[in-house]
Amino acid sequence: MAEKSVISEPVSGKSPKVHRTQRPRPRLLKPIGLRSRILITFGLGSFALSLFLALATYNFTRSNLVEDREKNVIEQAYENAAQLAIDLRSNPSNTQTVIERLTANRPLLYFRGTWTGDNARFSSNVIDRDMLVATIDNREPRTMRIEVDKELVLAIGIPLDSADAAYFEFPSMQDVRSTLNSINLALTLAAIITTLLGIFLGAIVASRAVRPLTAASQAAQAIAGGRLDTRLEETDDPDLSALTSSFNDMAAALELRVERDTRFTSDVSHELRSPLMTLAASVEVMHARREEMPERAQVALDLLIADVARFQGLVEDLLEISRFDAGAIRLNVEELLVGEFVRQAVAISSLPMTSVLVTSTADQIIIRGDRRRLARVIANLVDNGRAYGGGELEISVFVPDDEDPPTQVWITVEDHGLGVPLEERDLIFERFARGVVAGRRSGSDGAGLGLSLVDEHVKLHRGRVWVEERHDGSEGACFIIELPAERV
Amino acid sequence: MGTRILAVEDDERIRAAVKLALEDEGWTVDEAASGEEAVILFLRQPADVVLIDIMLPGIDGFELCRTIRRHSDVPIVMVTARSDTHDVVAGLEAGADDYLTKPFAPKELSARIRALLRRARPAHPAHPKLVFGDLEIIPDEGKVLRDGAELGLTKTEFRLLCELAQNPGRVFSREQLLDDVWGYGYFGDGRLVDVHIRRLRTKVEKDPANPRHVVTVRGLGYRLQA
Repeated sequence: MAEKSVISEPVSGKSPKVHRTQRPRPRLLKPIGLRSRILITFGLGSFALSLFLALATYNFTRSNLVEDREKNVIEQAYENAAQLAIDLRSNPSNTQTVIERLTANRPLLYFRGTWTGDNARFSSNVIDRDMLVATIDNREPRTMRIEVDKELVLAIGIPLDSADAAYFEFPSMQDVRSTLNSINLALTLAAIITTLLGIFLGAIVASRAVRPLTAASQAAQAIAGGRLDTRLEETDDPDLSALTSSFNDMAAALELRVERDTRFTSDVSHELRSPLMTLAASVEVMHARREEMPERAQVALDLLIADVARFQGLVEDLLEISRFDAGAIRLNVEELLVGEFVRQAVAISSLPMTSVLVTSTADQIIIRGDRRRLARVIANLVDNGRAYGGGELEISVFVPDDEDPPTQVWITVEDHGLGVPLEERDLIFERFARGVVAGRRSGSDGAGLGLSLVDEHVKLHRGRVWVEERHDGSEGACFIIELPAERV
Repeated sequence: MGTRILAVEDDERIRAAVKLALEDEGWTVDEAASGEEAVILFLRQPADVVLIDIMLPGIDGFELCRTIRRHSDVPIVMVTARSDTHDVVAGLEAGADDYLTKPFAPKELSARIRALLRRARPAHPAHPKLVFGDLEIIPDEGKVLRDGAELGLTKTEFRLLCELAQNPGRVFSREQLLDDVWGYGYFGDGRLVDVHIRRLRTKVEKDPANPRHVVTVRGLGYRLQA
């Protein structure tokens, strides 16, 4: 029935399958982020708006300015034409005088085939042929914008009452043009500024819009990092409150679950301690009477004693791990001379005779740490080396790269085992994750928690631990603990 | 007469097993399942060492410690669930001399008890009487006097004071005191020393907040002066 094509996802051994509520669709182009989208929208919007406003303003101003001006000069020209017509009637022979008497702006008179003007630049040559024909032959008034020596003028042609006469005038429109140019420039600048403001505003809005997402992402990271009590700040923004409250609900549920798991581990371990106490005391009483027992019972008792000890170690490790998970570890931090400390820690480990090499610089180095927990780290590495290392161990304490002044110290535990394959070097520090090499060994007494405890303890001391191959080239593993240190 | 140990533990099977293990050491073991029972038993038949599980029904281990302390300077070993909680310090402040964390090996317990018994027996110092200002220590009699009045020190507190008094003015590190008084090595819990010094001060100092005799030497340890 439910026939769906299943997209095969690579499921790694480590991470459990993740259920996503929505898979992001594959895109041909790189997806544009929310921030960029807001920015682009604002930028384009403000650009379009300012362009529209600028054009509207320009056109409106231009039509007002130009039309008013043209209306004025045309009216003036008509008045002049009327005056001219009267003057011509009384004195038709002397057109030059008539023109001069007229206080017009660049007049030009056509009268019975001759042209009279007062400005050589504005002769009949500058007038368009169509306009000449229209005004003189067809007796229709005409206006036309023309450019004379880069000056914008309005050529006005008015036929006069008397036959075969026309009056032309060429008022300058150059001032209107330069005003329009200024307005044009101002509007262009305004449009650019508005667009930039729009983009700026978009950037602010985008960052504000993304801020809750940034906060959510930081909170999610904090939770992933183990700070389970991280919550988003409550908001009264109805659009965001849904996100905030569901995020916080999720975080609370997660915290509760983790807490419950941790408490369960802790409770189980606590509960196991009482029977373990009884077991440990009882086997000791039996051990004191071992010689009185039949041989087969002795063998059984030895098995019992060994596994009670193992059980005890496991429960202690589990308790310590549950303390880590609950964040309930309180370090009892002291200043420790690292060389002395490592020697003492090895002396109480399962291989107390292991040699410890401390360089002379390292002998004068102090670390800050919980003495007993760090001793556990050394003991666990020794146990690990004893179980998988095949024979003797070598432990060294030194300052890496002869750093001066020293800021860190290395404690290395080297063995003669099979080493740790590259792909398992991170894995072996995980809980109950015994490597392939380790797994091949039968009857191993590694609890599977030892190295994870080492890792957690060292991290708690702001150090790190990792495994490499032996530095001298022979076969074997080299565990390195790096801790912050300083000179005495 | 042999050594008597009072074991206070509410878990019946643990109690039985611990009793068996301690009897193997040649000690006599009295059992009590609750604090109330322990008080009655202790008043009737005082023990040489008391073993107390802090988690008890009814009156708890801390209260039991304080009750016994009101009557006796007997060494007390407490059993806690965890070593890194406030329990340890609270128990020591209630009057315990040492502690163990469950589950412990009975061998470890008997080693602790032996150390306490060794300490409980008076040492034989070179000087019959040591004087530090208003303080007077008489090791043979296990007595400490301040301005002539006897102070009620527990056996461990007395041992600690004598240790410091043997080399007046010398600074003793916590490790040394842990080793000398409790028989612990490098990995003993320094809080044992700190809490006992605090307890000691409340008894021997006129103003425990500004100690004159038992002085802290920062970063090094403690010293006794006149």
